[in-house]
Amino acid sequence: MTAPRVLLVDDEEAIRDGLASFLTRSGMEVETAGDGEAALALHARWRPDILVCDVLMPRLDGRSVVRRLRAAGDWTPVVLLTQVGESSERSAALEEGADDYLNKPFDPQELHARVRAVLRRAVPGEPPLVSAERLVSGDLVLDRTARRVWVAGREVMLTPKASLLLDYLMTHPDELHTRERLLEALWGFELAVSSRAVDHRVAEIRRVLGDDAAAPRYVETVQSLGYRFCGAVQRGVRP
Amino acid sequence: MSDARGRRVGPLLAALLPGLLGLLAAGALLGSGRSLRVVVGAPLPVAVATVGLLVTAAALAGAALARGRRRAVAVAASAAERAGREDERAAHRRFLLRLDHEMKNPVTAMRAALPGVAPDRTLLDAGQARAYDTLEQQAVRLSGLVAELRKLAELETRPLDQEDVDLAQVVQDAVADLGDQAAASGVARTITVTLPRAPWPLPHVRGDADLLYLAVHNLVANALKFSPADSPVEVRGSDDDGVVVVEVADSGAGIPEHEQAAVFDELVRGEQARGIPGSGLGLALVRVVAQRHGGTVTLRSRPGQGTSARLRLPAV
Repeated sequence: MTAPRVLLVDDEEAIRDGLASFLTRSGMEVETAGDGEAALALHARWRPDILVCDVLMPRLDGRSVVRRLRAAGDWTPVVLLTQVGESSERSAALEEGADDYLNKPFDPQELHARVRAVLRRAVPGEPPLVSAERLVSGDLVLDRTARRVWVAGREVMLTPKASLLLDYLMTHPDELHTRERLLEALWGFELAVSSRAVDHRVAEIRRVLGDDAAAPRYVETVQSLGYRFCGAVQRGVRP
Repeated sequence: MSDARGRRVGPLLAALLPGLLGLLAAGALLGSGRSLRVVVGAPLPVAVATVGLLVTAAALAGAALARGRRRAVAVAASAAERAGREDERAAHRRFLLRLDHEMKNPVTAMRAALPGVAPDRTLLDAGQARAYDTLEQQAVRLSGLVAELRKLAELETRPLDQEDVDLAQVVQDAVADLGDQAAASGVARTITVTLPRAPWPLPHVRGDADLLYLAVHNLVANALKFSPADSPVEVRGSDDDGVVVVEVADSGAGIPEHEQAAVFDELVRGEQARGIPGSGLGLALVRVVAQRHGGTVTLRSRPGQGTSARLRLPAV
């Protein structure tokens, strides 16, 4: 397998230098840019497999970079170096079409892991599930912007947190998520809450969706490790 | 503001009107040039009583007016104080966000650069390895601090879930988790939980179960941390007039009086906390969670005897 090409965009030279050499040592090919305009120019020339992009930058910020790429039908994966926190930000995140988020300051190992995970999920040239308005898995339909859920044509009600959790699991199907990772996805930051919090929400999702933990169609428990969405997930269309 | 003025002027006009009318009528009668007299055939005791009652009524009315004014002044002062406190909190929040913004890039750069200093740690000699570990640990520590401060600033403003939360369950979960942790670390602790069953169980509250867990967890964790391993920690639930109270008490070293006012501020670590790991943000987080749920958290402590923290939240 050839080394993945990573375009790293940040206006702080110290961060560019440190992360570029770290990712290079981890077996990736890295180019850097100091602002959004430079990033788009380099992207057009170099065709990276993925962009890792800061948000606040001079000339053109990270969110605008993603919007411009998506508007041009370019689905190169992007990891934005910011936080997805509040639900309002989450719907903005859905519209802007970034593939993942990582909040500064972070462990460079964590960035490496996220980049690999996004690359594993990405199908070249195709929009990722995180950009879909609707997701479908068998009988289950999730409208991500309206936050509504149907099972076999009948609408069901989930609490806001359970619906966020289902959203995260369905946009990252077939991946094992630790409880800590799921909590962070729910809150946008690490919260030292009991891992029971995630178990409670998964129990709610199963109860409401009528999913059997022993023979799951949707959410599978991976013993002592975490959870995985085990159904096949497709993009849905709005009726 | 103009509404408030209208409310004060209205009654005054109503009170003055009879007087004005009387004066006008008297003027008109005098002007007519006729000599008119009223002869009242009331017995003297009635007349005396009437005069006395009228004087009392006038005095009461005057006192009521003065009280009203004092109350209005007090209300305005407390509103100004509240607004002042909110301004202060908002300024504080902006400061935390600025701090986060200014610190996150340097800390990210340090953590990114560090692995490049020694890609293979096994090649370092003992002194170099120690220095490297120090750099790494302290960068991680700074990193955690930045993240915690941002979390606090964010929890002050982000919309909260409004679910029905069984606080008794939250207390039991937090105590079970901390009890397990203590046992796993080899120092089993006694945590006594007293929750009411009669005449009714602890009322539920509305809010975010995860954050309420965090608040109770931090209070119990603090009690465990700042009391001897062989001393008990007690957690009591009660309800009083629509308020649910969770009290966490320990018989630890207590907090000196001069430190008590500041314990809920960020990054405050008391004398007793020296040598005990912690960020100084645990109680600040409890305060934010309490406030966001329309509640309060207070502390009573006696040096040498112990500390009791009370989390009060409005019942459903």
